[in-house]
Amino acid sequence: MGVLILVERKKIEIPADAKKVESVGEETEFPFDISPMYEGERIRKGDMYVELGGTEQPGFELVMALPVDEVEDMKVTVVGPDLDEMEEGKAYPYAMIYYVAGSQVEVDLEPVIERRNHDFQNYLEGYMHLNQRYDIWIRLGKGAIKKGLKSLVQIAKATMMLFKNELPFIEKIEAVYVTDADLVNKILNEIAMPIYEERDARVEALHDEDVDEFYSCTLCQSFAPTNVCVVSPDRPSLCGAISWFDGRAAAKVDPEGPNRAIPKGELVDPIGGEYSGVNEFAKEESGGEYDRVKLHSFFEYPHTSCGCFEVIGFYMPEVDGIGWVHRGYPEPAPNGLPFSTMAGQTGGGKQIAGFLGVGISYFRSKKFIQADGGWYRVVWMPKDLKDRVSKYIPDDIRDKIATEEDAGTIDELKEFLQKVDHPVVKGVVRPVDGKKITEGWEAEEEVVEEEVVEEEVAEAQPQMVQQVPAPAMQQMPMGMPQLPQLQLPQLPATSAGGIKLVIKDAKIYIDKIVIKKPEKEKKGGK
Amino acid sequence: MVVIAVTGKGGTGKTVISALLIHFLSEQGKKLLAVDADPDSNLPDALGVNPRKTLGEIREVFQVSRDDMGTMNKEQWLEGKIYSEAITETDSYDLLVMGRPEGEGCYCFANNLLRGVLRKLMRHYDVIVIDTEAGLEHFSRGTISNADYIVVVTDMSKKGLATAKRIKELSQELKINFKKIYLVGNRIMGGTAVEIIKRFSDEEGIELLDLLPYDEKIVQLDMKGDPVTLIDNSEYSEKIKKIASILVGGNNGKNEH
Repeated sequence: MGVLILVERKKIEIPADAKKVESVGEETEFPFDISPMYEGERIRKGDMYVELGGTEQPGFELVMALPVDEVEDMKVTVVGPDLDEMEEGKAYPYAMIYYVAGSQVEVDLEPVIERRNHDFQNYLEGYMHLNQRYDIWIRLGKGAIKKGLKSLVQIAKATMMLFKNELPFIEKIEAVYVTDADLVNKILNEIAMPIYEERDARVEALHDEDVDEFYSCTLCQSFAPTNVCVVSPDRPSLCGAISWFDGRAAAKVDPEGPNRAIPKGELVDPIGGEYSGVNEFAKEESGGEYDRVKLHSFFEYPHTSCGCFEVIGFYMPEVDGIGWVHRGYPEPAPNGLPFSTMAGQTGGGKQIAGFLGVGISYFRSKKFIQADGGWYRVVWMPKDLKDRVSKYIPDDIRDKIATEEDAGTIDELKEFLQKVDHPVVKGVVRPVDGKKITEGWEAEEEVVEEEVVEEEVAEAQPQMVQQVPAPAMQQMPMGMPQLPQLQLPQLPATSAGGIKLVIKDAKIYIDKIVIKKPEKEKKGGK
Repeated sequence: MVVIAVTGKGGTGKTVISALLIHFLSEQGKKLLAVDADPDSNLPDALGVNPRKTLGEIREVFQVSRDDMGTMNKEQWLEGKIYSEAITETDSYDLLVMGRPEGEGCYCFANNLLRGVLRKLMRHYDVIVIDTEAGLEHFSRGTISNADYIVVVTDMSKKGLATAKRIKELSQELKINFKKIYLVGNRIMGGTAVEIIKRFSDEEGIELLDLLPYDEKIVQLDMKGDPVTLIDNSEYSEKIKKIASILVGGNNGKNEH
């Protein structure tokens, strides 16, 4: 896949009449210490010489990859007032632009390099750098000025030196620092913002197949010992907090920490999202408990669920569809169970077909449970949740997914799905490969009615365990009795006494139910 | 860097003592970070500071907006928010209010980031004074990793002493790696109370730092909602100054670099 580039990378034009300082070459002496121990140092207001960017003034940082011959190595250009021309205690606009070049330097490395500006500048004694992109906020300490800091040239040279030392793939680097308000705003709006937007667009377009490594997250293994979160471009962590980019950033800082690189290995199942590297990793990290994990499958070897997940998906065999409910929805879902109950059964790092914990941002994924029909298999979600992810739902299915306003029980849901002609009714064709994966149940429904009349409903039914719908369930005949709301054929009112059957909080395994009227009665019929 | 955690049963006056320690230590020119780690206390009021956002509020914003950050670095985002919005700068010290406990959802990642940011932030201060509730929640979660001195404040009540005993056990379990745990008796009147507290200190092996008297002025300031740091030279304030110099004596308060 080619890298999406919407903004041409070229040097910024500096107006001919602008006040500027230029300097080329490495500096050997700096009037400040350089060390990681200065990271996190907060320069207090009283100790501050000047503030750059921040809340009062515009500020941004930008790295641009350019061809090697266009970059003048270790050159700094400062446009606008320099430090010795600034008034103590004031805030100034600030842009830091770096041109980088090298045989391995490509546009998609720009954000990776740019992020390090924060690290390196915080190594400088008396210099506080916060935030990123267009939010940067810098404070320079009075102490640094006292020790001999005069010019931003010194800051830029020290930073560039660190870039080259720490990231040896950078062969050439050049900096342009701007403190002139008009020029900062102009470059920010015309060049920097479009580049940031381009990068975000590239993130949306990044998929599992575009990268070589996924990242693990074992931050919550203290609660869920066998849970292995696998974070890929198309699958964020279950808690929703960690994207593939976060995993990559964390793994770089601490390769043996809670977020480690997982080499993908071989692609075993492109539709389910199964990779040999992920399987090996899962086996290792779950202590042998699981040896297969499919990233985009609901029924077959689904991802384990920790306990931190934001949303739980649940299969409803009665409609052969999947519902989702988020942590903040307190009511029972149409299957009669609230989030907490389902989460309790699924959490703790278990792999349970029929239930799946996910992060809300997984609904954005282009591979969202693609093996099982993606959005076309989704039948119900609370309105709150549906509104939050609405823009990621394909137009032709959005209105067919019920909320609590449309359906609160399985019966109401069934009715709704038939009314809107949801794909599950006639059978789901999964978009990823055009394969029809479910048979639908509308036709079968009538059969059920007839069987009820025959009064030996369950005899024809296959085995079924309510809590754990097996993967094979998709192929099951659809005329199964409704569970968990067990419905019994109505006993005629003439029966003496009658019974009251109350079943609470039960797990029921039924092989066969035979209900017969007293023998002297004749069979009822329509 | 010296980290002092002031704790004790609610109502024993630990917040007043924290506020005065902060006041006197920062007056001595120490670079000081005051941390309010008790959601039920009112350290900012006692100090007369109007705090900005709490760390808890920022953590909540993070929980909600993290999905929309794209390639932005979340640790940097959180650090920026803490430095610019959660830390209140006064003329003589910085104040960080931890705020309310976690809401629903998973905070593993948010807390993991917080730990990193706070550790980096804290090492640059000479002194950190933490007003913390008896449950030591932030220590158990690891958002604050250690304390050099734990100062347990108790009044004359049996409950105050029972809590002090529990805090000692808890801080050992949590492996806070403290150098010393001290006891401070507050609002102590009468010889019997002195006897009881001294005996408790001996039996439990918690060194008694000092016994502070009942101070009418503090009660009045507290009632009016005025900062307790307004107290003039009194027996009470002199004793706190003495405690401050014991805790941050010699070279303890010098920043290593």
